[in-house]
Amino acid sequence: EPVVIKFSHVVAPDTPKGKGAEKFKELAEKYTDGAVKVEVYPNSQLYKDKEELEALQLGAVQMLAPSLAKFGPLGVQQFEIFDLPFLMNGYDDLRKITDGEIGKSLLSKLEDKGITGLAYWDNGFKVMSANSPLHTPDDFLGLKMRIQSSKILEAQMQALGAVPQVMAFSEVYQALQTGVVDGTENPPSNMYTQKMHEVQKHATISNHGYLGYAVIVNKAFWDGLDPAIREKLSQAMAESTEYANSIAKQENEAALAAMKAAGTTEFHELTEDERAEWVEALKPVYEEMSGRVGADLIEQVRTTLGSTN
Amino acid sequence: MTALLIFAILAILLVTGMPVSIALGLTVFAFLFGFTGIPMDSIALKLFTGIEKFEIMAIPFFILAGNFLTHGGVAKRMIRFATSMVGHWYGGMGLASVLACALFAAISGSSPATVMAVGSILIPAMVRQGYPPQFGVGAVATAGGLGILIPPSIVMVMYAVATSGMVVTGPNGEQVMSASIGTLFMAGVVPGLMLATMLGATTTYRAWKNDYPRMPRAPWSERIKAFRESVWGLMLIVIIMGGIYGGIFTPTEAAAVSAVYAFVIAVWVYKDITLREVPKVLLASAAMSAMLLYIITNAVMFAFILTSEQIPQMLSSWIVDFGFGKIGFLLMVNVILLMIGMVMEPSAIVLIMAPILYPVAVKLGVDPVHFGIMLVVNMEIGLCTPPVGLNLYVASALSKLGLTEVTRASWPWLLTALCFLAALTYVPEISLALPRFLGLN
Amino acid sequence: MTLRILDRLEEILISVLMAVAVALIFVAVLHRFSIGFAADIVGFARTNDMPALMDFARSFFKTVNAIKLTWAQEACIYLFVWMAKFGAAYGVRVGIHVGVDILVERLTGAARRLVTIVAMSGGVLFTAIIAWIGSDFVYHVAKGGQTSPDLEIQMWIVYLAVPLGSALMCFRFVQALWLYVTTGFIAHHDHGAVEGLEEEAEDLSKGAHA
Ligand code: NA
Ligand code: NA
Repeated sequence: EPVVIKFSHVVAPDTPKGKGAEKFKELAEKYTDGAVKVEVYPNSQLYKDKEELEALQLGAVQMLAPSLAKFGPLGVQQFEIFDLPFLMNGYDDLRKITDGEIGKSLLSKLEDKGITGLAYWDNGFKVMSANSPLHTPDDFLGLKMRIQSSKILEAQMQALGAVPQVMAFSEVYQALQTGVVDGTENPPSNMYTQKMHEVQKHATISNHGYLGYAVIVNKAFWDGLDPAIREKLSQAMAESTEYANSIAKQENEAALAAMKAAGTTEFHELTEDERAEWVEALKPVYEEMSGRVGADLIEQVRTTLGSTN
Repeated sequence: MTALLIFAILAILLVTGMPVSIALGLTVFAFLFGFTGIPMDSIALKLFTGIEKFEIMAIPFFILAGNFLTHGGVAKRMIRFATSMVGHWYGGMGLASVLACALFAAISGSSPATVMAVGSILIPAMVRQGYPPQFGVGAVATAGGLGILIPPSIVMVMYAVATSGMVVTGPNGEQVMSASIGTLFMAGVVPGLMLATMLGATTTYRAWKNDYPRMPRAPWSERIKAFRESVWGLMLIVIIMGGIYGGIFTPTEAAAVSAVYAFVIAVWVYKDITLREVPKVLLASAAMSAMLLYIITNAVMFAFILTSEQIPQMLSSWIVDFGFGKIGFLLMVNVILLMIGMVMEPSAIVLIMAPILYPVAVKLGVDPVHFGIMLVVNMEIGLCTPPVGLNLYVASALSKLGLTEVTRASWPWLLTALCFLAALTYVPEISLALPRFLGLN
Repeated sequence: MTLRILDRLEEILISVLMAVAVALIFVAVLHRFSIGFAADIVGFARTNDMPALMDFARSFFKTVNAIKLTWAQEACIYLFVWMAKFGAAYGVRVGIHVGVDILVERLTGAARRLVTIVAMSGGVLFTAIIAWIGSDFVYHVAKGGQTSPDLEIQMWIVYLAVPLGSALMCFRFVQALWLYVTTGFIAHHDHGAVEGLEEEAEDLSKGAHA
């Protein structure tokens, strides 16, 4: 009788997360010689975005890969640090955080909530899009920008002079099309799969923020596993993480290329001077939000990265 | 097998006459306790999250807006305008009643209320003019159904809600996006006008054949005056459609704004209701909304059981393997929906059937928007078919004619609606042309 | 007496929730409009090089944009969840929940009585189960300490609507069942009800349309 792990997620099977989940299934079942059976439920088949964390805590599913933004409302506001604009400069910085002490200590904070964190999976760094060029912060004035629920993203848009609008992901396309909102921010792969490039004339490759997931398991379930099996599953997770992250990077590059080829959106690379202006305009976000994520954590990240932002 | 079991439990519970929402919920529990290992906790979750979507909140707002304007005074203004425009044609008042229903439908989301408001004024007036009562009853009972096809439409919101977030694939395995509320509303306009025209044509033809009386042609001064009086009510639909299409609001926001607008018009412009009566309107709207939201919650649980038992997937592959094809499938859908429509009310049917039929339709290459409009027209016909048809009940109560008599009186118009359904089913352009032209997809 | 107070409280609660939700979303839309308007003035002043107007418009913009209403949608959803759960209970009292009564209508005497009692007991049973599972769920959520993303209120308070509403609804079903058993009365909501039709019928008889 194999141990069953129900791995539920909210995206399509052919996305980086979906493929990562399948990879984990393959490796986990191979390494444990069938002692573990992984059932992957994609596309919110079982639980929707808003339901899955509770489903995991109740033990209705064993494994998830929710967006990092979900952990703030769960009571671990330190995770909101990933939303801070221009905190990290590219993937090298990101790995120093997620693979280092900070990443580990963040995940360990989930233990109190009955959750064990196993790994960080990337979605990607975000581009800003709108129907007008976005070169300097002044270009944002009065633009209605769609965000997902997040105090930090709200503060970020306000600091840029834009008007933040919370809106469900499923509504964004039509809202951009009709003009209820003027723009939004997304990693290129999300922008492409939701066809947002069809309804956005301009986009700036700003890499100002990061979107990612954490793979988590029900703590009671995980602790109850045979240690030898847990070891093998951790091995499978480590390898699928590497796989998922490399795919995510490829997909973002491919999506960007495809959108450039489609020609409906004009892409702009942020220059050094422009970037400095954005960073300057976004300084108040750090002041306003340091109370939420913790000034010492921000300091710790900066020390780790040796950054001056 | 499992599917049969689930639907058998549901059917048995339904025939006792218990509320549809309760029957859905008890089916889920009966199935959970008796036949499967799905943990109870996972179901509890759905109770909370079933209606936690901003799109769904358009329903209470539209109901409130409609209730502010679903008033005899508004109906009278619509009727005056309609009569002044078309009263002098053959079947004058009958034609006017179809037009008045269409106008009233653009404000009210409720078909029975449309039948009531227009019918209670026009049917007695037609009888006095020398029409047989059956004529007016037939025209109004069927035209009253336009309420759910001409936007705003609660049934369309239900369809959008029931299918949104479902990840479905088309014939070539490509992912297909579900229909948005805004696009569905836009897609309902042409079919709504077309059906109204066809019902009107049937009215005129029968009046011409039987040589029913006509009215004197109204002078333009009267028409303009009648238009000016009804325009405040009709602006509601302009605000909703213009607001959504013009990018001013999301559909839910449009619904909330239209509720505020309807309140202002009803209280201060039309003065049909006083401020003291407003709490009564709020209460009635809240109760109606709560009833619908309660069905949604339980239908979501029911759909969860179906999906976790893989029933839509099985049905889908069975139909595809069987080689029904698009034409056969759509015919089957119409027959099934018309049959269920005989005994059940629209919202519940859409919430139960859409999650099952929609993935199959998309798999066979049917456009989600087209499919939604098709469902709505089926529901509309269901409102006028015996034994359970709210429109028939209201028309019967109004005219003091029995249900059989009302049904018999309605058949020419019902037949017209069925012809229209056939055309709409196999000519997707009827519903898709306008949204495509406007660049919505 | 206590029952009458409960009835009134139920009615007031759901009406107020409805009114507040409408007002909230309307204000949120107005707010977005005024921000857009202020931004347009800033843009106008910038292109026409009018520094005085620009300063004024910028401060106006900053003031309006500092008002945060991103929580309005979430609040609206929660208001309506509460309205839905308690409104459903009120709906039992006034008989708004529609069923398929075609078979029951054909039955007579004891058979009809029996089926109707079974149907109403179904309501009692279902709402009782929900009240029970719901309480359990709320207890779990309260232990987890989850908050809502925008308003940052405790989720268990939001979710409390389910067990409370369902318990009230259960009570209403018991009440309705009791009323039926003792008096044979069943509440039926009139779905085709329209106000203000009596006066219109009078108008017509005076020949307004002839
Ligand atoms: Na309508
Ligand atoms: Na029917």
